[in-house]
Amino acid sequence: MALLEIKNLHVSVGGKKILNGISLALNAGEVHAIMGPNGTGKSTLSNVIAGRDGYDVTEGQVLLDGQDILAMEADERARAGVFLAFQYPVEIPGVTTSAFLKTAINAKRRAEGKPEIDAMEFLKLVKAKQKLLSMPDDMIKRALNVGFSGGEKKRAEVLQMTLLEPRVAILDETDSGLDIDALKIVSEGVNTLRGPDRTFLIITHYQRLLNYIVPDHVHVLVGGRVVASGGKELAEQLEAEGYARYLSAA
Amino acid sequence: MKQSALLDHPFGARYAAALPAADAARQDARETLALEGLPGPKREEWRFTPLRGLAKIPFIPAASADDIDVCDLPADVPRFTDAHRIVLVNGVYRADLSDTASETGLTVTEAKTPDHGVDAPLAVLNAAYMSGGVTISVRGVVAKPVHLVSIGAAGAEPAAFHPRLAIAVAPAAKLTILETHHGLPGQPYFSNPVTTISVGTAGVLRRYVLVREDSEAFHLATTVADVAADAKFDAFHLGLGGALVRQEISVDFVGEGAAVRLNGAYALMGRAHHDFTTFMNHDMPNCTSSQVFKGVVDGESRGVYQGRVLVARHAQKTDGQQLHKALFLSRGPQIDCKPELEIYADDVKCAHGATTGELDPDHLFYLAARGIDPQAARLLLVQGFLADALENVDDAVVRDILSGEISGWLMRKASA
Repeated sequence: MALLEIKNLHVSVGGKKILNGISLALNAGEVHAIMGPNGTGKSTLSNVIAGRDGYDVTEGQVLLDGQDILAMEADERARAGVFLAFQYPVEIPGVTTSAFLKTAINAKRRAEGKPEIDAMEFLKLVKAKQKLLSMPDDMIKRALNVGFSGGEKKRAEVLQMTLLEPRVAILDETDSGLDIDALKIVSEGVNTLRGPDRTFLIITHYQRLLNYIVPDHVHVLVGGRVVASGGKELAEQLEAEGYARYLSAA
Repeated sequence: MKQSALLDHPFGARYAAALPAADAARQDARETLALEGLPGPKREEWRFTPLRGLAKIPFIPAASADDIDVCDLPADVPRFTDAHRIVLVNGVYRADLSDTASETGLTVTEAKTPDHGVDAPLAVLNAAYMSGGVTISVRGVVAKPVHLVSIGAAGAEPAAFHPRLAIAVAPAAKLTILETHHGLPGQPYFSNPVTTISVGTAGVLRRYVLVREDSEAFHLATTVADVAADAKFDAFHLGLGGALVRQEISVDFVGEGAAVRLNGAYALMGRAHHDFTTFMNHDMPNCTSSQVFKGVVDGESRGVYQGRVLVARHAQKTDGQQLHKALFLSRGPQIDCKPELEIYADDVKCAHGATTGELDPDHLFYLAARGIDPQAARLLLVQGFLADALENVDDAVVRDILSGEISGWLMRKASA
């Protein structure tokens, strides 16, 4: 059984159809990349899996371990192991990164029947993970994402992913706004999380990120449909040829 | 004033009869009070904060009640370690509960008479029945901050008290003061303090005020401040409790180059009412005033912000800013926000802004996507909204105390 299975997913937003029957099976241990031009439904797909309001699922299922998660609230899905790294992480003044991280870690631990993390253990853990992502220690004292540069925001997303150890990690345009150094650091962070119990769905416009996070499968999304699937060579081909031939076919 | 603006109130002959004969200052004020009464809803400055409920309660002077016994500091009063502590019970200085080790430059004396005339209507009531208080004078730099604790308590009958506080900061002197206002549950009490502040040339006063009165209590505070040349007056006010609370602050700029920050926050639930009314009287050139007030409202509460900035013709290069932000946690509350700019000078920088809104769905989704349930997410965001206001509190120890008070409010709300 696939860890995450998307079956014939149809989604509308405000009466307008965005996804037209997407089916994907993501097995544990695999990294899948979804590529496509702007406005083809890539972010819709990630938001629907994560449980954002405002999307109308008219048909289909999203199964985690064979269980449909579409009826679950976003926070329940997250505790079940779904993680969305946001394209545009929100800035929340007044909420320190550290208070936020602790609340999120404890939400997960409670769901797993574990006791809350103690303060020392928390600081040690965060410090170690921050080092891995070349983040300054004092970043967690700052308000969540407030005044962070584009690169810092994306690193903070990967830091959260590293701390929450999700089973399904969705990266929505994580490469946008990153310079090459930040891209490498973020990719390394993701690569250290790759493992037999986890699957990744990497949504990107460009092939660049996939040089660093090498996918097992690449899917091309055009007009709310998967129009082609292949190995990592498909990404290279798209980089060379563009989306033109898929666009004309769609 | 028109008769229709008057309000019948309990502070007449019956109230006076419970007290010893008045001195001349008090007698004058009683005559003014008899003529002018308490402000009714037709007085513009009191339009959003009706005193009808207060005026119906048959208060007696707290000083005349013999069944009020406060012999300890209540456990929930925040402890400001390494600070001078001045405790007032029903407005009266209590040496037995206070702890003011002598420090060079700091003088604390009991206030006996309402010697500074203050025109505001509640200040007239205060002068008529002034029943205690303290004068704090500072020369040089006072290293240890001052924590002034006010405890209100009624006995078998509702009780009122009218203390005078005076804070005088000499030229080039510095003081940090935290005032916290609390009370005991029981019959309603009414705290009606008047505070007069003067900050001398190049002096610095940091004043932090917490109002967490009992949920049945009334707290109507009037503060008037004179700020001299190159002086700094930095104030933060937090309103977290009381049935009806008004913090009215007016500032006179009496020298050039003075800088004033009046910031504040309030959080209301149930039927609580909180009013910040401010007046910045820019009568000197090259002064700055900045105001940021934030409120969280739930239940059927009501929040008021009225801020008036007056810039005289000769007060060139004035910088006057005001901002009010309100966060609604439900549909029931009401916010009245009235910023006013009255500018007669032509080279000034003045602005005001106001926003109201609910919790941002994008913020809620972000927290949900990290596994945080809706209730915890709302708590985190409300705390963040208020904590953001505390960024303006420079003193780290005070900031921690106020932050703890905000957490306490959120816990009371969660269990209400």
